[in-house]
This record gives sequence, C-alpha cells and structure tokens, in this order.
Amino acid sequence: MKDIVGQLDRAFNPRSVAVVGDKMEMGYMWLRSLANFQGRVYSVQIDEKELQGIAALGVKNYSSLLDIPDEVDYVIVAVPRAVAPKIVQHCIQKQVGGVMLFTSGFAESNTNEGIRLQEKITEMAREANLNLIGPNCVGIFNPKIGLRHTTDQYWGDGGNVGFISQSGTHATFFTLVGEVNGIRISKSVSYGNAAVLDATDYLEYLGEDKDTNIIGMYIEGVENGRRFFSCLREIARRKPVLIWKGGGTDEGTRATASHTASLAGPPLLWDALIKQCGAIKVDNLDEMVDTIQALLYAKPTTGNRVGLAAMTGGHSVVITDAFARAGFEVPLLTERSYREFASFFNTIGSSYQNPLDMSSNLPHLDRIIRCLDILNDDEMIDVIVLDLPVVFLTRISWHISGFFDDLIDAIAEYKERSGKPLLAILISAHAESEAIEARKKLVARGIPSFPSFERGANALAKVVAYYKSTALQ
Amino acid sequence: MVMNEIIAAARKEDRTSLTELESKQILKEVGINTTEIELARSREEAVAHSQELGFPVVLKIVSPDILHKTDVGGVKLSLNNKEDVGNAYDEIISAIKKHQPSAKIQGVSVQPMARPATEVIIGMSKDPQFGPVLMFGLGGILVEVLKDISFRIVPLTMRDANEMIREIKGYPILEGYRGQEPANIAVLEQMLLKVSEFVDSKPEIKELDINPIFAYRDSALAIDARVILEP
Repeated sequence: MKDIVGQLDRAFNPRSVAVVGDKMEMGYMWLRSLANFQGRVYSVQIDEKELQGIAALGVKNYSSLLDIPDEVDYVIVAVPRAVAPKIVQHCIQKQVGGVMLFTSGFAESNTNEGIRLQEKITEMAREANLNLIGPNCVGIFNPKIGLRHTTDQYWGDGGNVGFISQSGTHATFFTLVGEVNGIRISKSVSYGNAAVLDATDYLEYLGEDKDTNIIGMYIEGVENGRRFFSCLREIARRKPVLIWKGGGTDEGTRATASHTASLAGPPLLWDALIKQCGAIKVDNLDEMVDTIQALLYAKPTTGNRVGLAAMTGGHSVVITDAFARAGFEVPLLTERSYREFASFFNTIGSSYQNPLDMSSNLPHLDRIIRCLDILNDDEMIDVIVLDLPVVFLTRISWHISGFFDDLIDAIAEYKERSGKPLLAILISAHAESEAIEARKKLVARGIPSFPSFERGANALAKVVAYYKSTALQ
Repeated sequence: MVMNEIIAAARKEDRTSLTELESKQILKEVGINTTEIELARSREEAVAHSQELGFPVVLKIVSPDILHKTDVGGVKLSLNNKEDVGNAYDEIISAIKKHQPSAKIQGVSVQPMARPATEVIIGMSKDPQFGPVLMFGLGGILVEVLKDISFRIVPLTMRDANEMIREIKGYPILEGYRGQEPANIAVLEQMLLKVSEFVDSKPEIKELDINPIFAYRDSALAIDARVILEP
C-alpha cells in the first residue's frame, strides 16, 4: 500500500491555495469561497477584463502559477478544458500538493476531444506523481481551515464525519443538510471522473485520518474493484462506512456513464460487497444523513424492543406501524411500569399500552418526562422514541410562553440521566421552518431527531444492524 | 496433481470447457464431495465399473463437445443390473452418433445413483471489476424462476459463507420445512469456503458451476459439475 496519507495530506490541509481561471460570470465563486481560508490565497488569471474584479476581492493575481513567489499546496482549476493540460503541466513544475479540476467536458462528455484530454492529463499526472482530483468535481472541503467550495458552507469548527463523493452536488448538499442535523465534516472531497485518484485512495486517506470517525461515500463506480473491496473491508472494521451507490439500478447505471464516465457494476454485487465488508448501505441523501445522525447521537444498542411515546392518538398508531414494519418489537411493559402509570397518567383521551398516547398529559412537562423515565426503567425496552408534533407543541407555546423550548430542555435533562438510546420524531405538517429550528435545538443538546416515523425507524434499523454486525466480529 | 494434468491436457487440445468427469476429478482434489465417477470406454468396462460401484448406477456421455447431455440422449438413470448397464452403454453411444455425429467421445461415465435430496447450487463467475464472485442458491426451478440467489466476492470468510446461505428466501427449506430432511448447513458452508479458496488460488478458472448439489442431513454431494478455463 502506498503512503496515501503522506501523499494527500498537503492537499487536504493546505496552507496556500491558488485559484486558476475564476471569473465574474461565475460570481468569482472560488475566490469568494476562500474568503475565510486560514492561509494564503492567490489568483491566476490572464483575462484583462477579470483583473479588476479579482483585485476588488483583495486577492493578488498572477498571470501564471509559475510566477507565484510561494509554495502552493492546493490548486483549484476552473479553466476551459482545452487549457487544462497546460495548467496541469504548471502544477507539475510548481510541485504543488494537489490540484482539483472543476473543469468538465472530459470523458463524461463522451466526445473524442474530451476523452483525449482526460487521457492526456491523466498520463501527465501519473508520470509526475501529481495528486490530481477530478476532473469534473468541486474538490476538498476542510471547514477547520476555511477551505470550501461554496460560501454557504460553514467554517471554523470541523467535525468528525468524512465524506467522499463522486458528485459535487451530493458533497455540497450533504455538508449543508448535515449541518442542520448536527453532522459536521472533518474533511470531504468530491472527485468526479476519478481520472487519477479514485474512491479507494480517498477512503484510505480518511480511514487513516485521526479527525474522521465516520465515513460516508457516494460512489458511481470504482476503477479497481478488488482494491476497493479489500480496502473497505479493512477500514469498515475500524470506522463505520456508509455507502450510497449511485446507479443502483440497471437503468441508473446508464446515467453514471454520462455523469462521471463510471463503469457502475451490477447492483446485486454492490449489495453483496457492502454487506461483506461490514459497511452500511444507504440509498439516498436522507438515509445518509439520518443514519449518520443516529450513529453520532443515539447510544449504541443491539436491542430490538422500542418504547413508543406518542403525543396524539393518530400518531400512536402510525408510529407503531412504522417501527414494526422496520422490524422492531413493540412489547407490552412490565406490571411495575403499568402500576406507576396508573398512579398519575390521565387516561381520558389517552392510553399507556406501548405505544403511549400522552396527549391528555400535556401541557404538564413533569408527566411527559415521568413517562420517559418509566420507559427508561422498564427492562422490556431497549430504545425510546418520542413523538414531538411540531404544530401542537407550537400551539401550546402561544398561551404557555416558551413551552416548546422548556420541553426540549426537560428532554435534554432526562437524556443526561437516561441509559437508553432516545430518538425524537418531529412531524412538521405545514410548519417546516419551526420543525427545523426545533430539530437544531434538539441536536445541539445531543438528541437525534427525524422528520418522519419511517425515516427514524429506518435509521434506527440500520444502526442496530450495524452494531449487531460489529458485535459478531 | 490430477488437476494440473487435466488442465494441461485440455490446453493441449485447445479447449476451455472441461467435461463432467474432469471437473469432478478437480473438485475431488480440492476436497469437495462428489459422486464416485469412473470412465468406461466399452460396454464391458461399464458393466465392470457398475459392479464395483454397486447398483443402481447412472451412465452419462463424456464428451467435451456436448454441453447438454440429456438433450442428445446421453444420460441413463436408475440402472439396476449388468444387463441394463450394458444396454444403456450401447444406447448412449448410438444416440450420440445419431444426434451429434461430430462429437468427440471420450467414453461413458459410470456413477452411483445418488439418493434424491434438496438441491442447491454453487457457481463462480468473474466480474470485470471485482474478479471471482460466488453464487449460492436453491437448485432446480427455484433458482431459475425466483432468482433466489445470493452473491459474495471471493475470498469468502466463514461469516460470508454463513450469511450467504441464510439470506436466500428459500432458507427455511434447507432447515427442513414440514418434515423434509434438513440440509447440513455447516457442510454447505465448508463447501463454499473450499470453492472460494480453490478459485482464489487458480486464476485460470473462468467459471464453475456445481449444479445440482444434493444437500443431505449429514453431508452434501456434487451431482454434476462444470469447469470452464480462461482462454
């Protein structure tokens, strides 16, 4: 195995970045995304019309990479494809740590010119041992040092989740929606056509990265399946690896060819590979986010018995369906629990079988929390799921000021003393922005939350299966 | 080693497809339980072999040119005595001469007639990206119609073998559904591991098909097998 960590470290943790070919037409997106970069930023542009705009951003411009009087660790290239070989040549001469080609129109275009150009830059990079990321990608996101690909990405505090994506869209969306869900990135990379560095190289890198505890991957195809297989098998033993395979249907495999020129491989084989390596299979961005959130914030369990605490009768029925369909048991509670419920629980319009329907106990926070404590103490229950219907809880806050926030505080306090995993489900109905705000508050207190019963059940099923599978190793 | 001799002989004849006899000899060498098999080049040899092996026996044509032995009258089942075996030998030879006169005949194989049981299959094919891949499924109509099969990439671990058997939908049948004889799962796991090890160590094997395997309560037996070599 080559020393991929040493090889890629400069590109992933650069102290100087050069942007080649940024322009007004793109809103100077690359230079702007580096506004908070904790290092030196240079521009390379020869178009006279752009020089004023670049100067206005306070970035020093050069007419060639070779003119920059400094070492350059990472290069962002946004030039027309025909110019790419020349820039790659300059990167080699300049001995940069890595170069990312945002430029597209290579093999994925399925044109003779595109294929020829990709072959050319690939050959040049391989020969010179240049770390070429892409082409046709958005490259590295390292929030800790402010290396981003869009200005709406956060910077400053990084997290412990690494993301490797063949698509720039998925890389960007995952980082943005992940933030709302309490998922912060250690390092992420979008790598497009994988002409030189492939999924396996990045996996190896993040596998060794001390800041990365969980790895998510969006893959359309891999170059060397055997190498990917053995690398994944080894790393998934140490860190959870989630794999979202694009082109997971026979029809979808056609699309991967025109997106990143990938040979997708048969879907059944990918399913087998993921299982065999002990990785976690997810099928879309929502599952990726939900499952990682559950890994980060729900206490690990191999238990299959859920205690369901709903706030309305209708929810108490469908939350049970959702968790039962996902393979969970919804057992009756112990006699002791029922005796305790009988001592305070208002059963007019409510019930406490399992599921609980706690509606009549609102707005008494102490009774809601007491219900959670009973489930926590009940030996029949492994996981507790709490329904927080946003519309009703917001409505109570109209006449009891701060009710919803107080409830979140009380749940967070309960969680501190509880030994069992807790999941919250926030059905938003029409109140989507209120739901997002509440979910952000919950995850800030370490409580994972999900926007539907099905998504919560599915995420829990995936992490329980994962913990069972690692327990078998 | 028999295996290397068989492969060398096939190479010399410029063929990649091994006969059932050759395939079973190779499987036997790597520790996979197959039916006893003897080659007869004459009516007399067929009779002699059947007496050694014990009745009832099965006779099958052995020819590298014949893929579907039954279709050309190349298989005779449940032969219970010397006379039946002798006649079956002659019938097979004349049927082949009639249906496929160009086929090169190596002889006729004599094998004990195995007691029927739940049928499973193990196959290996190569994926351009992932290399050798093993397939497991129930045999017969279930595998063809329901595609009730599981895959694993070679090399398999013990756990892979365990899971790939249990993840097929028909697994309850192997456990002995409604009083049927249960299959010995541990034996099937071992067979998968042996096949995995074998194809992993022999890159010149392009495809392998063991179909059917009879899965008994305390053993499993490869009834038919086919090995194809890389060109």
